[in-house]
Amino acid sequence: MKRFALLLGFMGTWLFLMAQEETEYDFSGFADTYHAVRSSEPYMLMSSRTRLRTELDISRGRSSLFASLNSKYNAILDDQNGIELREAYFDFSSEHWDFRAGRQIVIWGVSDGMRITDVVSPMDMTEFLARDYDDIRIPVNALKLGYSNTFLRSELIFIPVSSFFIFPDSPDNPWSVFPTSGFPVYEVDLEQFPEKRLANSEFGGRVSFFLSGLDFSIAALHSWNKMPVLEQNPSTAMDTLFVKGLYERMDMLGADFSFPLWQLVIRGEAALYLGEIQGTDPGTGSDIVLRNTGNFLFGVDWYPGHEWTITAQYSHKFIPDYIERLDSKKNTALGTLGITKKVFRSTLSLSTFAYVDLSNKGFFMRSSADYALSDQIHLMLGYDWFHGDEGMFALYNQNSEIWIKAKYSF
Amino acid sequence: MKLRISILISVLAIVSAPLNAQSGREIIQQVKDRPDGDSRYSEMTMTLISKKGKERIRKINSYSMDIGQDKKTLMFFTYPGDVAGTGFLTWDYDQIGKDDDKWLYLPAMKKTRRISGSSAKKDYFMGTDFTYDDMGSRNIDEDEHKLLREEELEGQSCWVIESESKDPQDIFSRKVRWIRKDCLMAVKVVFYDRQGILHRELHVSDVKQVDGFWTAAKLHMTNVQVTHQTLLSIDNPQFNTGLSESSFTVVKLEKGEL
Repeated sequence: MKRFALLLGFMGTWLFLMAQEETEYDFSGFADTYHAVRSSEPYMLMSSRTRLRTELDISRGRSSLFASLNSKYNAILDDQNGIELREAYFDFSSEHWDFRAGRQIVIWGVSDGMRITDVVSPMDMTEFLARDYDDIRIPVNALKLGYSNTFLRSELIFIPVSSFFIFPDSPDNPWSVFPTSGFPVYEVDLEQFPEKRLANSEFGGRVSFFLSGLDFSIAALHSWNKMPVLEQNPSTAMDTLFVKGLYERMDMLGADFSFPLWQLVIRGEAALYLGEIQGTDPGTGSDIVLRNTGNFLFGVDWYPGHEWTITAQYSHKFIPDYIERLDSKKNTALGTLGITKKVFRSTLSLSTFAYVDLSNKGFFMRSSADYALSDQIHLMLGYDWFHGDEGMFALYNQNSEIWIKAKYSF
Repeated sequence: MKLRISILISVLAIVSAPLNAQSGREIIQQVKDRPDGDSRYSEMTMTLISKKGKERIRKINSYSMDIGQDKKTLMFFTYPGDVAGTGFLTWDYDQIGKDDDKWLYLPAMKKTRRISGSSAKKDYFMGTDFTYDDMGSRNIDEDEHKLLREEELEGQSCWVIESESKDPQDIFSRKVRWIRKDCLMAVKVVFYDRQGILHRELHVSDVKQVDGFWTAAKLHMTNVQVTHQTLLSIDNPQFNTGLSESSFTVVKLEKGEL
């Protein structure tokens, strides 16, 4: 509500300043409804939500104001109901300079669905990865100053108050990352975030070059581990496990590139996380362990024509100075494979995108058919397949689901 | 007898003189060099018409600029809503063998990605009957040109030029163009597939001068093999728009306007 009032105040001030001037308005958005059912017993409803997204873009000359609101109804999760301010920012741009202030999603890097240098906007894992990618990314309140010319774009970013990952822990949520029944009982607190003060702000920058036949960027961010590391302590009666999210300062130094090669686009990213906090096995000590970790990604996109697109990515994380009590492996590897084919004049899009946990032999594969019934209406049918006995997908290996979605754009 | 033959040869030489005065390549070069300003803007509406008559609409704002023999283009989708804001940036190189640079911005992903400049040319543009190649520019030496004849088409004197593709990956093996002599514009094009069978037909109409530059307002492409059509209407054409090369960047692509 406070955010909504802030937005209204912001818009009011801006409109007052722009009064009597020629202003352009663009109102757009969509309504969608999504429902998923587990594909094995007990065939329970995994998700049931309907949403109206409204977007307003007001512009005059070199400045503009953009706001995006979600009005949501969720039949399973009460805390997801209501109106959500998605993005709201003010833009000013000249031929070479641009400035953006407000709540915004910031995407860095060249990877698909994986974070190497893309550490600015965190992720909302309320339904794990079983949502549209733009719904998963969390906006940040930031000031961004950019300079660009024909071949270069640079940006400085300042985030006074950081945003962090959202992990579900509600017993109502089939995607809860903690056991919601059984023994012991989990008491979860992931919201002991760093204090809201200037010393805890984030800042950094990125410089990108767009050349004939090659794009590359370098980036740096003074940040936090936005995905919490979990500290778990049992109660004295051993009937409750207290779980706390730990957040520590971290710096990221990274680079990315992409270049076309015949029908291929080759891309890659590398980042050093300096002082990244590491999770440790319960009962092995309470001291915080920090490590400088190496994070790499290599990807290939293949465009063979006839509206086929095939992508593959391999990412690797390496923890030097490894000690046995870390709960991560010294080397972890994750791959993705995506295939998309459009048929019937691009009205039907068939796609599949799989995350493969190469370290633990698990995977998550989302396959879907998206049919454009008309220019405004899309109907989608899909299947999410989870598999794995260990690692990140093991938690959801009973969550394979079939889903339908309808979307009306205006 | 010798006299008759030499007279016949002389007569044939005189009759065929206009045909041989310019080669097919020279005419195509003139068409390519036809003045169309250093930069240009237009609002395009593409109506896709299926065999059953069902229509779908795509609307695009297009900006382009010549950089020597090369061309830079920015296209922003404005309709339908689910693709509105999607943009293409193309640096189109005239040099044979040099792949274009292409970037695609997807607003839902808030991200620009490079796409292949070589394979996209052979695909149809967003489900229409136009290929990416039709929408861009093409080095005249990628085809072998032959002047077939001169004839009138809809009251206009035209050169008829056959252009045979040298690239076996192209979706057409050859195309025949009717080029109006007065404005150096192709007003009819027929495309033949790799088997030499008639594939697509383009009819261009509403040809007029805007700010002293010849332009066409209607392009009607029919895929005769599957009976699908695309009607491309070009509105509000503008020339010498004053854009600079620094407008054709990824930053502007992501902004969705110039």
